[in-house]
Amino acid sequence: MASDTSQATVQASTSGVAHDGAAHASHGPTGIMRWVVTTNHKEIGSLYLLFSLVMLFVGGSMALVIRTELFQPGLQFIQPEFFNQMTTMHGLIMVFGAIMPAFVGLANWMIPMQIGAPDMALPRLNNFSFWLLPVAFGILLSTLFMEGGGPNFGWTFYAPLSTTYAPPSTSFFIMSIHLAGISSILGAINIIATIFNLRTPGMRLMDMSLFVWTWLITAFLLIAVMPVLAGVVTMMLMDINFGTSFFNAAGGATRCCSSTFSGSLDTRKCTS
Amino acid sequence: MSRLTWAALGAASQPFLTATVQASSINTSSGWNMPVGVTEISREVFGLHMTIFWICVAIAVVVFGVMFYSLIAYRKSKGASAAHFHENTVVEILWTAVPMVILVLMAVPATATLKKMYDTSQADIDILVTGYQWRWRYEYLENDVEFFSNLATPREQIHGTQAKGNNYLVEVDEAMVVPTGQKIRLLLTANDVIHSWWVPDLAVKKDAIPGFVNETWFEVDEPGVYRGQCAELCGSGHAMMPIEVRAVTPEDYAVWLESKRAAAAAEAEGAGREWSMDELMERGEATYATYCAACHQPDGKGVPPAFPALAGEGISVDPGALEDHKQIVLHGRSGTAMAAFGENLSPSEIAAVITYERNAWGNETGDEVQPAEIQAMLESE
Repeated sequence: MASDTSQATVQASTSGVAHDGAAHASHGPTGIMRWVVTTNHKEIGSLYLLFSLVMLFVGGSMALVIRTELFQPGLQFIQPEFFNQMTTMHGLIMVFGAIMPAFVGLANWMIPMQIGAPDMALPRLNNFSFWLLPVAFGILLSTLFMEGGGPNFGWTFYAPLSTTYAPPSTSFFIMSIHLAGISSILGAINIIATIFNLRTPGMRLMDMSLFVWTWLITAFLLIAVMPVLAGVVTMMLMDINFGTSFFNAAGGATRCCSSTFSGSLDTRKCTS
Repeated sequence: MSRLTWAALGAASQPFLTATVQASSINTSSGWNMPVGVTEISREVFGLHMTIFWICVAIAVVVFGVMFYSLIAYRKSKGASAAHFHENTVVEILWTAVPMVILVLMAVPATATLKKMYDTSQADIDILVTGYQWRWRYEYLENDVEFFSNLATPREQIHGTQAKGNNYLVEVDEAMVVPTGQKIRLLLTANDVIHSWWVPDLAVKKDAIPGFVNETWFEVDEPGVYRGQCAELCGSGHAMMPIEVRAVTPEDYAVWLESKRAAAAAEAEGAGREWSMDELMERGEATYATYCAACHQPDGKGVPPAFPALAGEGISVDPGALEDHKQIVLHGRSGTAMAAFGENLSPSEIAAVITYERNAWGNETGDEVQPAEIQAMLESE
């Protein structure tokens, strides 16, 4: 039944032209603008999946560069500096640009259908969440062409390698992490609002499918974690540009602050 | 597959095999398992690893055994039908309790070993280990001996113009030397970014974090050379700051200590006399290759903007900037990767390297810096 309605919706939205007499001629934008301003959860889901696929190829080609160089010991094709940029960008792109958007794309497609909702609870916010991503990753990829190259400190960006000793493009890297983080938070809010408010009448939480449950939990985790990550990269930004000492022991940094990602997402450096 | 094909495959895979053997000589004996190592702790770690490995094997055999037996013996084509029941309190308690008991059983010996690892008391020798981009520095706190340990693998091997040696990228110019049978305590810190001191044969891997001091220890039974690497990404030279620990008999250790003190005394004496330009340039070239070339590059062109060029531009060709040049080499430049070398290199080395930088690669300032000048600068501070 769900697939029937989805097909009908796709046909209605993709044909765009009048299907029901001239009175219903398409009011919406056409061409590329149709995709830019779409609020349809399946179209946005497809955009997410397409974006994820593109990022998979971009990040994957970086992995190929890494493996080509490692094919034999010694330096063959690229220099260590560029190698580190490749490992860092590969990690960031695969985690934030390929895996997460793929999962969000599936959520956009599946959640409304599985709980019997007509669309996501906040369709325009949904559109905005998606379009933040190409901007974020456009900025991130552009750092490769900046003076001094892109981020080269590993995807866990431990300070001070990622602050004092980082290339000048690091502020752009931080900007892109902020944007990707905002995208994730808004997406998570949207998913929670949809699951809590738009379930079909009579559907209790315990009636929901496992997929919807995993996304409900994941959305709460994202809301808990992303602001911490945003705080961490903001501290880096302050250390780099405004002379603060969040990650500088000489300026009074505490032990848990002396590494960035570990300070927020794992406690490895704190316990070592 | 015919014998001939196998032989061809063998020949084709030769470079890979060589690479595998080289890599495995760093950290494993057989190449298939972690090293047993040469300390009491490393043997305990290996024992824990094997114990837990066999526990995992036993669990896998039981779980997959039941699973595959059920799949095959109760398949639909044999007319099996599913049992319809839910909630069995006994089973639920069992599948919670059994893994918990297994985890506790594994945690008991692991915690005992961890406690030993963290017991750094009663050490015989204390060594301060400082990570730099990209070298280690060892300071024997009781014996007034300190030195840098730099990568000794020639550039030609790294760039592939020369055959790679057996200890490719795991050999240094001056190894950490320790006596056997004595407890060595390491105090680890870093000068710039986070590094990690890792020697698999000693079962030691400890982060060196700028501004903090971590402690660890080891005690080697048998003389030998044990190699390791930096284990925390620390920049473009991360693969080029290996660790080499030479364990020798206590008698040989005493001889080594004496030779280090004598060398330090000779170095100090050298600072007092007048050096010729040729002497300065020769010493400067060697010092530059060891300490400066990783960032500023052998041709002095640097990797801007992180590592500025010295050849043909900047302070090294500005006749009025000699004082600035000395200050930067002695004290580093805050907010950049430029380290302070004043406390760590000898006045002779610093004078020679400044002279070299101001006269090599067509930088013809003609400036000549004498070790005595640097000595005086250091003393007046």
